[in-house]
Amino acid sequence: MTELDKKIVQQIEDTLNSFENIQRASPKPYLLTRITAKINNKTKNSWEAIAYFISRPAVMVLGLSLLITVNLSVILINNASKNKVIERSISNISEEEEYTSSFVTFETNETP
Amino acid sequence: MNQAEAALIIQLQLGTAQAFKTVVEKYQDMVYNTTLGIVQNEMDAEDVTQDVFVQVYQSINEFKGNAKFSTWLYRITITKALDHERRKKRKKRFSLVHNFFGTRNEESNHPIEFNHPGILLDNKENASELFKALQLIPEKQRIAFTLNKIEGLNNYEIAEIMNTTFYAVESLVARAKINLKEKLKNYYINLSTK
Repeated sequence: MTELDKKIVQQIEDTLNSFENIQRASPKPYLLTRITAKINNKTKNSWEAIAYFISRPAVMVLGLSLLITVNLSVILINNASKNKVIERSISNISEEEEYTSSFVTFETNETP
Repeated sequence: MNQAEAALIIQLQLGTAQAFKTVVEKYQDMVYNTTLGIVQNEMDAEDVTQDVFVQVYQSINEFKGNAKFSTWLYRITITKALDHERRKKRKKRFSLVHNFFGTRNEESNHPIEFNHPGILLDNKENASELFKALQLIPEKQRIAFTLNKIEGLNNYEIAEIMNTTFYAVESLVARAKINLKEKLKNYYINLSTK
């Protein structure tokens, strides 16, 4: 190992050990005040951001069309289920009628 | 977690201003020092420290007490500091593109020399080189090395913060040292040949 190599190795060791006895750094005074201001600012900003987002024409149009679509689909689903109920009650009535008529037929058959 | 700390957290979760003040006063140096070790800029570290405490204020109800409060705080600090770094790197990349198209901004393309205020005067020059070399090694190795050397945490504590094992941290610190030695060797050889 040459003199230069030894010097470099020593320099590397010194550099790696340069964090020894490091003191903790402290932030500038009044950190709490600045944090509180940031929290208040963020809360205000988030409401402003929400209001700004909702008031955008594209969002408004999208929201309205979504509302209309949901309403229409609810109406259509309701109508479809009503029709099914009516169909089912009609078929029930017809079934009942068949049953009574066959019963009547049976009775009439019994009479003579 | 001791009883006093648990009581403090409950007060914090209830939104007591005094509890928040106590937390900031108690942990501000820890958060700032860790951040400074990662972002290597006092103004940026100040900004990130503020963001960390804002995050603590907003998400204290997510703290379930499974780990120590300081561990949770270290995790937030590291995440925020690394996010800040990534944002800065993105900006740097953008400025490189900007430079390519004509408008030059020389300052943003060169790493600024960083002097940690807690370093002894005799070590300032060497420490500055070490901070530069730290920027060149993988992120996990850098975090483990920084927590170990700057915050003075042991491998068990680092393992808890980094959500890994004791042996993984041991290996990360060892590899960090090897990589740093390599980077410093190149630097000092180049310096001696000039």
